[in-house]
Amino acid sequence: MNVRVSATGFSRFGKRPESLVELLAEAGGQALERLGRKAVDHLFVGAMAAGPLAGVESLTARVADRLGLVDPASGYRVEAASASGAAVFHAAVAAVESGQAERALVLAGEKMTGLPTPEVTRVLARSLAPSEEAVGATMPALAAIIALRYLDRFSLSAAVLDRVTVQFRESAQRNPIAQFPTAVRIEEVASSRPVALPLRLLHCAAISDGAVAVVVERGNGPVKVLGMGEGFDALAVVDRPELTSFRATRVAAQRAYEMARLTRKEVEVVELHDAFAPFALIDLEDLGFMGAGEAAAWFENGWTRPEGRLPVNPSGGILGRGHPVGASGLAGIASIADQLSGSAGPLALPRPPRTGLAQSIGGMASHNFVTILGRSEGG
Amino acid sequence: MSAPPPLELRRCAQCHSLFLPRPGVCLRCGGADVSPAAVDPIGTVLAATQVEYPPTGFSSPHRLVLVELPESVRLLAMVAGELPAPGSMVQLRQEGDRVLAEAAGP
Repeated sequence: MNVRVSATGFSRFGKRPESLVELLAEAGGQALERLGRKAVDHLFVGAMAAGPLAGVESLTARVADRLGLVDPASGYRVEAASASGAAVFHAAVAAVESGQAERALVLAGEKMTGLPTPEVTRVLARSLAPSEEAVGATMPALAAIIALRYLDRFSLSAAVLDRVTVQFRESAQRNPIAQFPTAVRIEEVASSRPVALPLRLLHCAAISDGAVAVVVERGNGPVKVLGMGEGFDALAVVDRPELTSFRATRVAAQRAYEMARLTRKEVEVVELHDAFAPFALIDLEDLGFMGAGEAAAWFENGWTRPEGRLPVNPSGGILGRGHPVGASGLAGIASIADQLSGSAGPLALPRPPRTGLAQSIGGMASHNFVTILGRSEGG
Repeated sequence: MSAPPPLELRRCAQCHSLFLPRPGVCLRCGGADVSPAAVDPIGTVLAATQVEYPPTGFSSPHRLVLVELPESVRLLAMVAGELPAPGSMVQLRQEGDRVLAEAAGP
């Protein structure tokens, strides 16, 4: 693989008055500025539900027009539910690696706060299986059932979920684009209002607007793409042999580690998909960092903190940063790239990492992605 | 008392998996030979949650259970009445595309 990440850009996440196209242009303009306004020849856009949530289609042409990209040789939109941002990055890297594209601008975003919450809930639930939609399942409801199975299997109390939120919200305080720049105490998480017990409000991703940009191009540079993998699973959670681990992550991770020719032992920072606090535990175990049921102890011992043995979500993750669904996968990748290139600013880790991994979950973990980036020695 | 009506599921002739009626091939093995199968509707609650913010079209409180039936078949069902405890027995019935659960008699 001979592809590098040469620039990143983030819009501020949260409730934003701007349109989806404006948010994408905000992040894209920032990345192009950091690139020194060099020309890009391809434009890729990721979004989950631009039509239903933001009332806009033909995103790629609109963003090209808005950014004054006069004549990209090609471009298109990529969708993989809440992993759209990771999917569009993988598509762009493949285009560059194949020689089709020289330098590609990759954008991902979502505009969600324009609709009432029940309507947003219904749109997001469209990524579930028809049999789940038929009984009125929602993303939080299924995540709650998965959490109950996980806590029961490993004899854990719901307090482990509170610790996950507390850590990520603490990190988000240092992230200038985060939707939630304030820390929360464990009692606040434990007494926040129930969404679908054991999940409470502060265990669940917020409804957010926001966008992220990354530029990928051929050749050597400080941040190289080392490995990428995807995995699928049965759409309906009841059709899976187990609920306390996500096959789609395990397969994606195995493929990414093989492509990168490295193991989890070489990974020094992780940005994972924590749309619900229990997912952070499951994700770490699926990525191979510890055995099944052991991730809770890592959070309890502080090993996942920025100064810990494996920093997890130093950006604040989805729980701290906010969750414009289409943007989140690319936000993780861009945050890892910033750590590796030394441009993470206030989020920079005490020990600068050489290798980082981003993981993204599509739908209820039916289509997941893993991306491994590395710092070029002498790059 | 007469026995409750069985659930109408589908069985794959190749790998014998059971699943809810759906278009397409068997999820487990891709087998195309899928035929109707009647299954006893009494199962054990594996997990239960009350959904405080149900999607448009569902009333509050909305309660969901994950139920395990014989042969390791798992189904997600809406609950009529109180939220059953994990480990308790429920009786399932189908109503169109929906699966509903109620406490099974002693």
